[in-house]
Amino acid sequence: MKSIARYTIAILVFLMSGSAAAQFDDAGVRNIFFDTIRAGDVQPITVGVDDMRYTGVFGVSAQDSTYMRWVTDMVRWDVDFYADFDLIPIDSFYLRTYEITELDLLAWSRLGADYTVRLECEFQGPRMLITWRIFQTMGRNEIGSGKLSDNRTFWRQLAHSIADDIVRSLTGDRGIFRTKIVYSRQLSPTNKELFVSDFDGANERQLTDNGSINISPAFAPNSPEVYFTSYLDGDPNLYRINIQTGRQSKVASYPGIVAAPAISPDGKRIACVLTIDGNSEIYLIDLNGSVIQRLTRTRRAIESSPTWSPDGEQIAFVSDRTGSPQIYIMNDDGLDARRLTFEGGYNDSPVWSLRGDRITFVSRTRSGRFDLASINTDGTDYRVLTQVGQNENPHFAPDGKHIIFRSTRLSGGDIYTMDVTGRNQRRITRTGDAGSPTWGPYPD
Amino acid sequence: MKRLPLFGLFALAMIIMIGCGGSNPPPPIEEPPPPVVTPDPEPEPEPEPPVEEPPAPQLQESQFRTVYFDFDKFNLRADARTALDVNYELMNEFPDVIVQIEGHCDERGTVEYNLSLGEKRARAAMDYLVERGIAGNRITVISYGKERPADPRSNEEAWSKNRRAEFRIISQ
Repeated sequence: MKSIARYTIAILVFLMSGSAAAQFDDAGVRNIFFDTIRAGDVQPITVGVDDMRYTGVFGVSAQDSTYMRWVTDMVRWDVDFYADFDLIPIDSFYLRTYEITELDLLAWSRLGADYTVRLECEFQGPRMLITWRIFQTMGRNEIGSGKLSDNRTFWRQLAHSIADDIVRSLTGDRGIFRTKIVYSRQLSPTNKELFVSDFDGANERQLTDNGSINISPAFAPNSPEVYFTSYLDGDPNLYRINIQTGRQSKVASYPGIVAAPAISPDGKRIACVLTIDGNSEIYLIDLNGSVIQRLTRTRRAIESSPTWSPDGEQIAFVSDRTGSPQIYIMNDDGLDARRLTFEGGYNDSPVWSLRGDRITFVSRTRSGRFDLASINTDGTDYRVLTQVGQNENPHFAPDGKHIIFRSTRLSGGDIYTMDVTGRNQRRITRTGDAGSPTWGPYPD
Repeated sequence: MKRLPLFGLFALAMIIMIGCGGSNPPPPIEEPPPPVVTPDPEPEPEPEPPVEEPPAPQLQESQFRTVYFDFDKFNLRADARTALDVNYELMNEFPDVIVQIEGHCDERGTVEYNLSLGEKRARAAMDYLVERGIAGNRITVISYGKERPADPRSNEEAWSKNRRAEFRIISQ
């Protein structure tokens, strides 16, 4: 991928420039355990991002000044997006009343920022060189810094890389700002294609172009390969496509449906739905599409939507064996199935949290709406995470802190994101024809 | 694509209605049997004016009745059996006809679950015909889940039309 190559170059430039990578200061880094259970109980880290300053020798052009503003705004958007952070908006007027010409940490501390990000920029030919520094606002000590550069044209990726560094510096975790998402778009009543874009919806491009129905994309772990169900041969069968090369191949073709693929954490097995034995059941197949094992055995009930536990030893799935769809957990050999959900008459589309402690799913709430909900894997602490529109198809970001889903709250269907707690819900697509979102892995 | 803003309006209207309803019970899900929309109840092939060699009467797809289902159900209601009895007579009358039964769902619930549900609906229709004596090799099934609604609107009237099994003629 070109952008990865560019990023590699950026890193090389940055290493050759002699600066150390993001510096960590244990005393200054506030390690928080982001608890997926207690929504809102964890105080987010408050972060202010100062206006980017120009440190070049010559005067800056109006166009370059615009790039500086775009990068600054993008970094702020990312900080605001991040589950662990609350962005403290810059209040220039307030800062000015302090007659501040330099970044003044006291002023930021009065605005409520635990940490302050300072960005400096200069230009070298087509390249933009940015230095970031993070200060603990109260202690006034610098806890991390770094230098990044890229062509001006790739200012978005540059800003996302800075945001990734800020996340690493303040939480020790990997940021998700250079990840991709894949989703479907309804291009005509009979045509639904898969699209790929940045996590924030930018740089969208069409991934499949076969004129049929393409649904249920699912990434293989740490891989650019997406598995999906397509009607391109008439019947719903399983395919995979590489989002970087566009190379596509058929994985499995069986009479009836091949649906709802979920790739095991070790990347070797696919849990999916087949109807070859006359009923909708969950099977394990290998990456060539051969059946390894049938996991569920019911005479009439629908079994669907498998999802793997992070250790790959259990599978959660939906079954209507009691007369309504409910979520169950079984071992990866199909044994010891137990019912997980009892609230509400319709629980579907489970996804297992990356910590392994929670399952997020679609729940038909008392209002009659389909909402996202979340529950402990022992069945306790059921929580509803959305409050408006029809909501479906949750998937976790690779950091386990963010969820992507589809909602009809403002349109016929768009992609949204939120924190695992339900906080910070954001609209990502605006075409009103989107669905089946899934979140790709970290870039290499 | 033009329908989408309208779609949004409907969704908004639904939200507002639900919002205003407060603790009112959700709107009823199980609807009484919807009117069968497919016309042409008579399995009468259109009489062609006799030419030199009269062509064999052809079965039209529209002569098949569409079979409707309740929300999240694939069991056959009384009206569904009536419709299937009509389709049974047609398949008896035209023994060379091979059909594909398409299973469809309304937009509620997830893509994946509805794919399975659509398959169950198509198979329920197929099983009924096979039990009545139609050879199994004359029928195939396919599920479109909620991907091909007959009516794209988001209300019970549309949903009841979308939960269906449709007959397509593959060959005759």
